[in-house]
Amino acid sequence: MSGIVLHDIQKSFGATKVLRGVSLSVAQGEFLSLVGPSGCGKTTLMRIIAGLEAVSSGAVQIAGRDVTALRAADRDVAMVFQNYALYPHLTVRQNIGVPLMMRRLSAAERIPFIGGLLPGVAEKQRTINADVANAAEMLGIGKLMDRKPAQLSGGQRQRVALGRAIVRHPMAFLMDEPLSNLDAALRVTTRSEIVALHRRVGASTVYVTHDQSEAMTMSDRVAVMMDGLILQVGTPEDIYTNPQDLRVAAFIGSPSINMLAAEVAPDGHVTVGPVPVGVGASGHGPAILAIRPEDIAPHATGIAARIEHQEYLGESLLVHARVLDSGEQVICRLPPEKRRQVARGETVHLRPDPAKALLFDGDGRRLGSRVLSLEDAHG
Amino acid sequence: MATVADWGPASCPWKTPMADVAMQSPAVKAPTARARTLRGDAGIAWLLTLPAILAYCAMILLPLLAVLALAFTDYEFGARSFRWIGFGNFADMLGDRSFSASIRNTVIYCLFVAPLSIGIALGLAVLIEAGARGRAFWRAVFFLPVVSLTVAMATAWQYLLHPSIGPVNALLRMVGAGTPNWLGSSDWVIVSLGFIGVWENVGFNLVLFLAGLTAIPRELYAASEIDGARSGWSKFWLVTWPMLGPTMLFVIIITMTRSIRVFDTVQTLTQGGPNNASEVLLRTIYQEGFHYFRFGYSAAITLVFLVIVLGLMLIQTRLIDRRVHYG
Ligand SMILES: Nc1ncnc2c1ncn2[C@@H]1O[C@H](COP(=O)(O)OP(=O)(O)OP(=O)(O)O)[C@@H](O)[C@H]1O
Ligand SMILES: [Mg+2]
Repeated sequence: MSGIVLHDIQKSFGATKVLRGVSLSVAQGEFLSLVGPSGCGKTTLMRIIAGLEAVSSGAVQIAGRDVTALRAADRDVAMVFQNYALYPHLTVRQNIGVPLMMRRLSAAERIPFIGGLLPGVAEKQRTINADVANAAEMLGIGKLMDRKPAQLSGGQRQRVALGRAIVRHPMAFLMDEPLSNLDAALRVTTRSEIVALHRRVGASTVYVTHDQSEAMTMSDRVAVMMDGLILQVGTPEDIYTNPQDLRVAAFIGSPSINMLAAEVAPDGHVTVGPVPVGVGASGHGPAILAIRPEDIAPHATGIAARIEHQEYLGESLLVHARVLDSGEQVICRLPPEKRRQVARGETVHLRPDPAKALLFDGDGRRLGSRVLSLEDAHG
Repeated sequence: MATVADWGPASCPWKTPMADVAMQSPAVKAPTARARTLRGDAGIAWLLTLPAILAYCAMILLPLLAVLALAFTDYEFGARSFRWIGFGNFADMLGDRSFSASIRNTVIYCLFVAPLSIGIALGLAVLIEAGARGRAFWRAVFFLPVVSLTVAMATAWQYLLHPSIGPVNALLRMVGAGTPNWLGSSDWVIVSLGFIGVWENVGFNLVLFLAGLTAIPRELYAASEIDGARSGWSKFWLVTWPMLGPTMLFVIIITMTRSIRVFDTVQTLTQGGPNNASEVLLRTIYQEGFHYFRFGYSAAITLVFLVIVLGLMLIQTRLIDRRVHYG
């Protein structure tokens, strides 16, 4: 039984098409991150899964049930909002208890004072309180139960929002940039706490983030979204080492991937300027060779470039160079001890690792490539 | 003591009272330079606030004190002298039928106008806010009574409520209901004025509620929906009602004070009649002061009026304010 399945979701606001056919499936218990530049439609997609926004076309399934026509309240999903959306007039205990109150008590039973006198309500209230206490225990906010949200720090509010989401054991979790309001240090610790919480709760989770390091470290799979389309879904490693689209390659990784104009000769050999790079491809014509900074380094022969400056990062050294022929900028990540061996203004020959080089056509689609021995290339 | 004067102002310059105490104590022979500049600063501060203080005294405090003083005299406008009569005016009030009628009517009017105009305005505001379009239109429609001149509109009301030729009674006649003399019978007059008051206040309250509703974060509604609030009703009680708390408080106070001050509709439509049945507090003050020229008595009633308004303010700041602002 699958967790969340989206079939060809389209969504327009008036004339603007925000989602242009998104299909995605999140397995039961899977943690999937949704990354993409601002305005690409991540929040819109989340709201559609949650049932806060209607689709223009397409279908949403949750736990094998078609929920496209159901309201948010009937979908059995929980959502954590970017700014938490806690009820400011309720205490932490009440905030976490709201989803249970709304589901387990009837409208009459929820009336203050009077509702409590109805038969059976006291018992229900007890179970609600016990469940709330359990959730709070799991998040370590047991001591804050009687505070109002205004009396909490950002991190504590975030936990309360998480508590409100987990307390009713939903089928699916949606989190829309839940860490973006926290400071850097707290973000890193909360990251691993969310992962641990996810393991414990085990519900399918869609996690929206701007921050690719969050996506890479937390997720089972990452979906990269751009302009209302999902370009690629895969494991973090897959997305990083084997991007199927130039935009995915460029979006993931920091510093971002190097892109060099290349040419596929009729015999299939790829050259950058005049230099063969030891990669073969089918077809011929202009192409783009993309190479991660850690996969290109100075060598006896290679693409001639002048070093412009270098950044020492402690664990590595980033060398910024400019290709002499084309003027393209290249960044190499080198071991830090190379610091003394390269100097500004010096000309070096850069050689991309043929096994790691990625080849794309003019439209940014990935081309099949294979490693040639350089001797072959010189042929 | 001298040491206090030495380090006090330097380490915590805002603690002027400390420095003052130190300077007045005999142990300090001459004020230090620092203390002198402090006193200079205070002088300049007073100088700068002087215009505001003068204006406040001239415009608010003195008239208030005059009213306070007058309330304990038998002064009549044009009289050459007056006597202090202590609580005489207040004792008179207890036996004054027109005063007790005006208090009773004002209370009835308030209790009629405030809940109705607040309830209707809130209902309309929620409906308008929920509606997809036409917000500006509806807001303008309901705000019209607020910006139109009550005195001018009173003519329209007089026609509408006329016992024989008025459209209201024509309508009632058509459905076979009774046709009361709305403004002419002592049973109906305060209710009729109340309806006009509701009509006047709904627009004002509506605009306040609309502003309050706009300030509620949309995400709270999204959260409430995900938390299982299916109906508009449960969303209203979970989000709208508590989030409107501060607005509601303000609206209640404003509506109460506005309806306690009812005067123009009464003066133009009924002159307090028939038989004091629509006599209200402000009209009694006006009548005693400017009609009978009993300034002392009028001032005493004004004082009662002020006490009521102040009481409302106190309720706002002391009792409710704390419970509707969250954090
Ligand atoms: N209610 C709406 N009406 C009209 N356009 C909207 C609406 N909501 C979103 N959009 C548009 O849809 C696009 C996608 O918005 P969305 O909020 O999904 O982006 P996002 O990927 O979440 O961006 P961010 O990372 O900045 O949060 C944007 O261009 C936005 O202007
Ligand atoms: Mg967003």
